[in-house]
Amino acid sequence: MELPINKNSPMIMHIDLNSCFATVEQQANMHLRGKPLVVAAYATPSGCVVSPSIEAKRYGIKVGMTVRDARLLYKDVIVRTPDPPLVRDVHIKFKKIFKDYSPNVYPRSIDEAIIDFSGMENYLNRTLGEIGKEIKQRLRNEIGEWISCSIGIGTNRFLAKTAASLKKPDGLEVITHNNLRDVYQKLTLIDLCGINKRFEARLNSSGIFTPIEFLDSPLPLLKNQVFQSVVGYYWYLRLRGWEIDDVIYARKSYGQDYALGKPTSDPHELAQIMMKLCEKMGRRLRKAEKAALGIHVACLYRDGTFWHRGRKFQTEMITTWELYRKALYVFNQQPERKIVAKLSISCYDLIPSKKSQISLFDVPQDKERKVSAALDAINDKYGDFVITPALMLGMKDLAIDRIAFGGVKELEDLYEN
Amino acid sequence: MLEIINEKISVVTKYDRIKGLVIPLRLHWQGKDFFIKKLAYYHRVRLGRNIQHIFHVTDGNMDFRLRMDSETLHWTLEEITDGTAD
Repeated sequence: MELPINKNSPMIMHIDLNSCFATVEQQANMHLRGKPLVVAAYATPSGCVVSPSIEAKRYGIKVGMTVRDARLLYKDVIVRTPDPPLVRDVHIKFKKIFKDYSPNVYPRSIDEAIIDFSGMENYLNRTLGEIGKEIKQRLRNEIGEWISCSIGIGTNRFLAKTAASLKKPDGLEVITHNNLRDVYQKLTLIDLCGINKRFEARLNSSGIFTPIEFLDSPLPLLKNQVFQSVVGYYWYLRLRGWEIDDVIYARKSYGQDYALGKPTSDPHELAQIMMKLCEKMGRRLRKAEKAALGIHVACLYRDGTFWHRGRKFQTEMITTWELYRKALYVFNQQPERKIVAKLSISCYDLIPSKKSQISLFDVPQDKERKVSAALDAINDKYGDFVITPALMLGMKDLAIDRIAFGGVKELEDLYEN
Repeated sequence: MLEIINEKISVVTKYDRIKGLVIPLRLHWQGKDFFIKKLAYYHRVRLGRNIQHIFHVTDGNMDFRLRMDSETLHWTLEEITDGTAD
């Protein structure tokens, strides 16, 4: 049976801060406003652009380019590195504003959020479009006059996000069953959120070249031929405006990544970075009163190759030292030592730390955990990394504070602080 | 151009009871007075239990990033920028 397009009133609003990191930097520094600016992971020529300003985008500068390439497109482009506390503060302020409109606010990343108005039809005495305009104004009044956002309204999260991307910057678009086909007509397959080049190729191989053809594809074709899984069914619903993405995943792991400014194969340097990553990860793990049974280490090498391995252990890990020892054990299982460009460590199989048992025979473990709790208390009082393992000496500028791309789970830590 | 300064400075402020906010009016740095025209952004940063107040202000010619330590009440000029490329 064919499922019709969802004809209900659109009740989902997607809000996307335009060029978030760069706009926030321009808000804080008035002399940067109206100028081509990029926020890059590092200000060095090989630093990766994480957010070009609206003005920089007009010169063709995009996310993911290097600073060197950005300068080729516009030689006087201003380069800044991220200011995570500033961006986090803007995020907290905008979430607070959104909460005034609905109890159901779901941050999607540091610069995106969903407001779900479902079930509130009888309480809203105005349209979502009017609410959207008011939100835009409040962002300018209460956060800063340079802050702008694109708002999209639809019957599900997918259509709301698609609507938000139709007009940037500062757009406000609504997709309903009346204009759904017109909107799809103007888009390409990779304009659809969730469709990348590989999915596009897969759709192309089944004779689907446009979003309209994607929409008109029968369910068996999507499910059995194109995606060969239930994913095809999800797309069938999503494209028609039925909600499929309102899933909240429980936290299953804690992890830290670090892209090395200077790739290295030096074991001492890598051990230092691992210790800092384990300390950051361990602090979050312990704050959540969890312990982990598994540890996963991944290395992206400078030659573009990748290695990763996860191991589960019988004894749980709580302290930084326990995490570090196990991470180092896994790290040392690499088949060959190459120059590491990015190091990722995560711990998984979480259990409540209160349930963890202290070994009858391993008495130092108990002492270690007590020392770890005392160190955490000191760092809570005087600031992170006031007391650190000796291995971390002299590495203040390594593995610095960053905001994860699309890190929804990271935001949970933010609200707790 | 961005310049990292990190020097203690003298600051004249006013307290706005409506906004509930301390606003820097004038800062004295390297023998010169800079009169603040606008507070562009204010936020707080936690260092353990200590709260640091960050003020992004401008005198019309340059942008200043100021930090006020709530424990010591010291003001630090962290960085200045004139909005040109480095």
